Amino acid sequence: MRNAVAGVAVGLALAVGVPVGWELTRPPATAGAPVAQVLPTDPPAPSSPGTAAPAPAVDTRAAAPTAVPQAPAPTRVAVPAWGVDAPLDPMGVSPDGQMALPEDVDRVGWYRFGPVPGEAGSAVLAGHVDDREQGLGALAPLRDAAVGDEVLVADEAGTTSRWQVTSRELITKQELPLDRLFAREGEPRLVLMTCGGPFLPEYRSYRDNVVVVAEPVR
Amino acid sequence: MDKTRPIALTAGTAGAFALLFSATPALADSHTATVSVLHAIPDTPVDVYANGERLIDDFAPGTLAGPLELPAGDYDLAVFPADAADASGTPLLSATDVAVPAGANATVVAHLTEAGEPALTPFANDTSAVPAGQARVTVRHTAAAPAVDVRAGGEVVAPGLTNPNEATLEVPAGTITADVTLAGTDTVAIGPADLALEEGTSTIVYAWGSGDAGYELATQTITGLHSSPSGVPGGSAGLVDDGLPLPLVGLSVLGLAGAAVAGRRLVTSRV
Repeated sequence: MRNAVAGVAVGLALAVGVPVGWELTRPPATAGAPVAQVLPTDPPAPSSPGTAAPAPAVDTRAAAPTAVPQAPAPTRVAVPAWGVDAPLDPMGVSPDGQMALPEDVDRVGWYRFGPVPGEAGSAVLAGHVDDREQGLGALAPLRDAAVGDEVLVADEAGTTSRWQVTSRELITKQELPLDRLFAREGEPRLVLMTCGGPFLPEYRSYRDNVVVVAEPVR
Repeated sequence: MDKTRPIALTAGTAGAFALLFSATPALADSHTATVSVLHAIPDTPVDVYANGERLIDDFAPGTLAGPLELPAGDYDLAVFPADAADASGTPLLSATDVAVPAGANATVVAHLTEAGEPALTPFANDTSAVPAGQARVTVRHTAAAPAVDVRAGGEVVAPGLTNPNEATLEVPAGTITADVTLAGTDTVAIGPADLALEEGTSTIVYAWGSGDAGYELATQTITGLHSSPSGVPGGSAGLVDDGLPLPLVGLSVLGLAGAAVAGRRLVTSRV
């Protein structure tokens, strides 16, 4: 009888304690301020002129087609603390509407329709965390990023910009603040993204995205 | 062709103004409208007046004014030859009580009709969001010319476009080489010209001019229409799976099974 009581107690302790203990002892999924707090915020809307008369001076410009100057594209991202040093490929949008990523998991994609790192808004660098044939990707260490880690981004003009991690968060894919992660206005931010969280074999995909936000080092 | 013959727009034309403007969906700002003005009448610098006030001075052909944030309301527009004394004489073009509703985005174009007469045509600009990776391009025929085909990279993308109409496409962002041919022919009337169609923007291309003065392209760009990608993919192997590891799942299940067995023994031993 006493053995049976002890058996129930030990069994339940194992059944409940193992997952709880695992949950409590694993490294935290977030670091620093929440991502939503450190992403660029919308600039204030211009104040309405109300019923004021049209301004006397009007901007005019020649309307002939002109070439648009392009800022130098980023070519390489390095994070010495994580042992990451990967080439960057300018990437666009996949047919399914998601950001396109380089097939090679050792390379990282830069969202070429958004700002270049250092311009107003959020420059997005993203890569596959792993691949069935190729193994772990260049950005796999992203999930262990710590506040203060230094990120270096080199561009094709040979300039290197320095960034400092302010936030890491694991965000369910359906809840990503996409408009802010890909913001094209506001303070310059560097956003690094890959996959993380539990793997869902039935979808051959991860449930979450690891999002790391860095600010320029001045 | 007498380019200085005054053409007063009729009430019917002004009515068309109001209709076009009010067809534009209202935006957040409830007090103003966004208006651009394109001068596409060759060889004729003008001054543009709104409600008797000079809005644009010495406006040269081939230039775009604005975008202007104008208070919503009714406007009397008048276009005078730039060399006339201010607001005196007979306007080259005029339109009264043009309704400019709040939230509208429009471009008013002073141009020539197919027959070569000066005209004022308002176009409502589509400022709806463009899907991620795409660019919107609108082509407007405002030249003294018959129907044209607009080609991109040698392919006809807007066939049989007539003055003063427009055609709109959404295309992958990038630079295209565009030209304009007489409809149904390979006779190039304008171009080719390289057009940089930036992602998330609307590029409006105007074909303007006349056979005497030559034909040209003018462009207007509306930015900030971009959309975000729908997500970021990122892995397919599960090598960094952050779920409860399988051995721990096993241990937990084992504990549950042990508790069940012991519980059953507890119950049976009491009977």
